[in-house]
Amino acid sequence: MLRVMLTASLAVPVLVLFALALLIPLIILLRQSLLDGSNSSLTLENYAAVIRSLAYRRALLNSVLIAFASTLLALILCFPVAVYIERSNSRYRDALAVALTIPLSLPGIVIGFFVILFFGLTGVVPQLFLLLTGERQLNFAYTFGGMLLGYLYFQIPRVVLVLRGSVAALSQDVIDVSRTLGATPLRVYLDVLLPALLPAMISAASVSLATAFGAFGTAATLSRGFRVLPLEIAASFTESFQPERAASLSIALALLTVALLIGLGQFAERALKPPDAARGGARI
Amino acid sequence: MTPTHRTAHRTADPVMAIGQGFTLVAVVICLAPLPLLLVVATTANWPLGFWADGITLNWMRDGWEAVRPYALFSLRLAAMVLAIDLAIGLPAAWLIARHDFIGRQALVALINLPLAIPGIAIALALILAYPLARASGLLLLLGQVVYTLPFLVATLAPALAQPALIEREAVARTLGASAVQRLLYVTFPTIRSALLAALILVFTLSMGEFNVSFFLFTPLNKTLPVELYSAYITNRVEVAAAITAIFLLFVVPAAIAIERLGGSKIGQA
Repeated sequence: MLRVMLTASLAVPVLVLFALALLIPLIILLRQSLLDGSNSSLTLENYAAVIRSLAYRRALLNSVLIAFASTLLALILCFPVAVYIERSNSRYRDALAVALTIPLSLPGIVIGFFVILFFGLTGVVPQLFLLLTGERQLNFAYTFGGMLLGYLYFQIPRVVLVLRGSVAALSQDVIDVSRTLGATPLRVYLDVLLPALLPAMISAASVSLATAFGAFGTAATLSRGFRVLPLEIAASFTESFQPERAASLSIALALLTVALLIGLGQFAERALKPPDAARGGARI
Repeated sequence: MTPTHRTAHRTADPVMAIGQGFTLVAVVICLAPLPLLLVVATTANWPLGFWADGITLNWMRDGWEAVRPYALFSLRLAAMVLAIDLAIGLPAAWLIARHDFIGRQALVALINLPLAIPGIAIALALILAYPLARASGLLLLLGQVVYTLPFLVATLAPALAQPALIEREAVARTLGASAVQRLLYVTFPTIRSALLAALILVFTLSMGEFNVSFFLFTPLNKTLPVELYSAYITNRVEVAAAITAIFLLFVVPAAIAIERLGGSKIGQA
């Protein structure tokens, strides 16, 4: 009995901390989102106002748009990358794998700044155009295109890491047999590898989408007009100081993210499940 | 990632050739900004072009002078986050790895909850819950601890759960080793690289954290990334590049070390 209690006490610090620093604050955030302006009665008015607002609907649509577009691009780019990194025995393989994890350690603002260095007004690409053609071109850092590039930058390592685990579990025979039977490389990728990696692709997509929905730094650095939800939350709290509005937007964003993660998780579970999926899932 | 057998790579294999092409594109995207950053940071007058008006280290020197207090603050904060994470996360990781109990899944879900909630929502919730604690910097510390703890536990729990380790501990026990001896001579050496990866991971996550910190910082408790952001908004591009280069000196070597130690992290952007 004493032993059981000692063991159970190992959970006490984390439970106390997460109750105080996460659960209670989230409940207060939820309550704030349900308060009316005079802080006296509970109401759904803040949510109704969010839904009625054209600007917020636009921001939600923009968030969904950039999250799905960047995720799709990242999946297409990183699918063959994961196959190569896991299957190749090139001696540069480890160096390439390390290079592909570098964006993970960078905050979103730095990634936004990288886009500005390349495609900002005095970015290297527009400057080269100026030099060669006498006219600045491709200075799209502060548009949807620039933001998309920034989002893709932080998605690459995330998608590669999730996919690599599943590629490692695949049998090489699958590729060899289909090649012997005369499948073209494109067919091998689309008809053999893609179905086998489908659950991993879905996991990768959910990590990528959740990251994009919550991304604030990249958007804060690059956005000039293309508003996404995290920017609206920040503006409603720091600029117009409407904590109820910021709270209801935050709750909406958090619910959207969690619902998406759960939905895609169940979808992935129903799809063919590789043997090590349970372990690999823990680190996400 | 578990090691796997690899069949001989034939350069003629078009499947691998496609993979190689895509990999090169992805690697160029990931790395290209780094040399460009150094060029801009050392160019006297960047709007005029590559190394216009000469190469200079003035921006780097000015940048370091400007961010030194914030860099030192970030280092101190990261050290505190690390200490609290260890004290709280190590017992939790042990419990999850070694015991099956009612509510185990719920505990894992709770610890992973911060990964699913946007950092900006966590920060806002903390401010609304404890408005008076913000000035002391306590919220900044709490926010970063909550945000980094899932990574520590996710790195340590699998290492502690290895069947081979549990078996060795049992053997040591039957040979008469005490609990402390088992911990020092059996458990610790086995999980050492996972532990090191987890520590560096928490450290770099804390050093680079922006989404939570942006709402919780105060003029007296300002982190390096928050100062970076104001440099992007207000400073000339060369100075911003120089400060960014200094910041990367803190995080990129650590990131490479994590990958070499076999730990990989997926954080918020």
